[in-house]
Amino acid sequence: MKQHSSYVYFDEAVCTGCAFSVKACPTRAIRVRNGRPLIMDGKCIGCGECIRVCPTGAMKAVTSGSEPLQKDRISVALVSPVLYSQFFGVPPGDVLQALRQMGFCHAVDMSYFLEMFQCAAEEFIVRNRKDEKFPWPLISPVCPVVVRLIALQFPSLLSHILPIMRPVALMAREVNRQLIRKYGKEESVTLYYINPCPTRMDADRIAFHHERPYIDKTLGINEVYADLTRELKKIRKPAKPDMLDYGPTENSLIWGLSGGEILDMHLDRTLAVSGLKETIAYLEKIEMGLFQDIEYIEFRTCPEGCVGGTLIAIDKYLAKNTIKKASRKCGFKRRVSADNIHRLYEKGWFSAKSSLAKTACLFSIQEEPLSIEELMEIDNILERIHGMDCSACGAPDCRTFAEDVVRGEASLDDCVVLRARGKSAEKI
Amino acid sequence: MSVLKKTFHINKKDFIHAGEASIKIKNLLKSLNTDPKLIRRVAVCGYEGEMNVVMHGGEGFLNIQINTGKILLNISDDGPGIEDIERAMEKGFSTALDKYREMGFGAGMGLPNMKENSDHFTIESEKNRGTRVGMVFFR
Repeated sequence: MKQHSSYVYFDEAVCTGCAFSVKACPTRAIRVRNGRPLIMDGKCIGCGECIRVCPTGAMKAVTSGSEPLQKDRISVALVSPVLYSQFFGVPPGDVLQALRQMGFCHAVDMSYFLEMFQCAAEEFIVRNRKDEKFPWPLISPVCPVVVRLIALQFPSLLSHILPIMRPVALMAREVNRQLIRKYGKEESVTLYYINPCPTRMDADRIAFHHERPYIDKTLGINEVYADLTRELKKIRKPAKPDMLDYGPTENSLIWGLSGGEILDMHLDRTLAVSGLKETIAYLEKIEMGLFQDIEYIEFRTCPEGCVGGTLIAIDKYLAKNTIKKASRKCGFKRRVSADNIHRLYEKGWFSAKSSLAKTACLFSIQEEPLSIEELMEIDNILERIHGMDCSACGAPDCRTFAEDVVRGEASLDDCVVLRARGKSAEKI
Repeated sequence: MSVLKKTFHINKKDFIHAGEASIKIKNLLKSLNTDPKLIRRVAVCGYEGEMNVVMHGGEGFLNIQINTGKILLNISDDGPGIEDIERAMEKGFSTALDKYREMGFGAGMGLPNMKENSDHFTIESEKNRGTRVGMVFFR
């Protein structure tokens, strides 16, 4: 148990030791012990729910936001199209140009890779109709929190995850190739992912770590927002040509919204689900055998999709409005050619390098399993406490507390209900 | 040998909470580090059973017993019972009301699914005497 996980950390100076985040955590990874917050790193899936509910702002995302760009290095910004939704009426090209003015040597747009992913996903699903090698419904791998949630809490659904490389991984691979060609492998390049959420690693990106010589860092959209707004006011035209220009389009904005991924797919039986509670409820149902008549489900754990991410600068409904306006203006035309995708697909260009087993061991901790006797002991403790999940002990609920006691990580004396009741065994 | 026993009440016509007992069972099995494939089978059977009680039966109980070797899952209700068990076991045969079919249930796969997913399956029923389904899973 530490003060930080791979995705979030506590600022202890601000933390009041309340139980908001403890209760909000979907994987029950947070405890308060002796007034100090602790996180079980292996259980944190980076959903950012704790950041959302923390009343004092003590919970923060792990990013490189506070460090200034190093002038002696070549900084490359990898841009999720969610960024464009933060600026009403501003064309994506201008946002990229403003990033370059901020000091990034290259600003790369992701939307081309999103389209490639979409085509490859369609191809896979159409083939799966014939050979049925993978079980329905297939689950979108785009939201990394969903992948980690499945690995940790729904391992029987790992085989449902679409085995196509995520758009961000496709982009990282391609950009790395181009950069190596231009600059060589010397350690002078830093890649910055400009993200709407505190999610840094995923199985695919790690799987080809050894091929990539460069450091990569993460920036929240809210961390670049102020600087970007300033630069957008004094935008210099015409834009400086960028060798990594993939031609950003306004229709990619729709990816920021729940349903944006499936909107333009040529499939009928698809669903889009957003929100953490809703995602968990759906995964529970899929595990019980429901939704087998659906081919593809797009999950986003943030409300309304990525525009509801925890590192977003403007309100999600305002961003949604920006997206709607932009997409009405430009329609949805694809740039990638189906033939080209087909050819690359045959070559295995899109196949996820991470195997299910790899994903499982990367993102799920091997917690000591409990024995039947221990489960019975938990029931006994629960009966004795007869509490109401007050969280005064620092655990999210009585059951988790009882489990901690059985595992030897907490003591029964931590329970205020038991202490208040004392030996009189009165009900409170 | 210790046996973990749990009983869950299934409310009459309660579509909102149907499935919750199966979710609790899943979580128990997960903390016991049960094979995900087996968890899935038990969850499918539990859910189908709960839906059957909610749709056709009256009040019901879902009862589970877990030991190191096997899992026993019993689902019983005090509903109208099944007149022709052989037909009820046929795939696609259903007596579900139209309003349930409109909700997406009642495809006539409940009992066949339970039989397929369990290692041992028994069913007892008599008209007006309720239904009892028993399933065994080997761990």
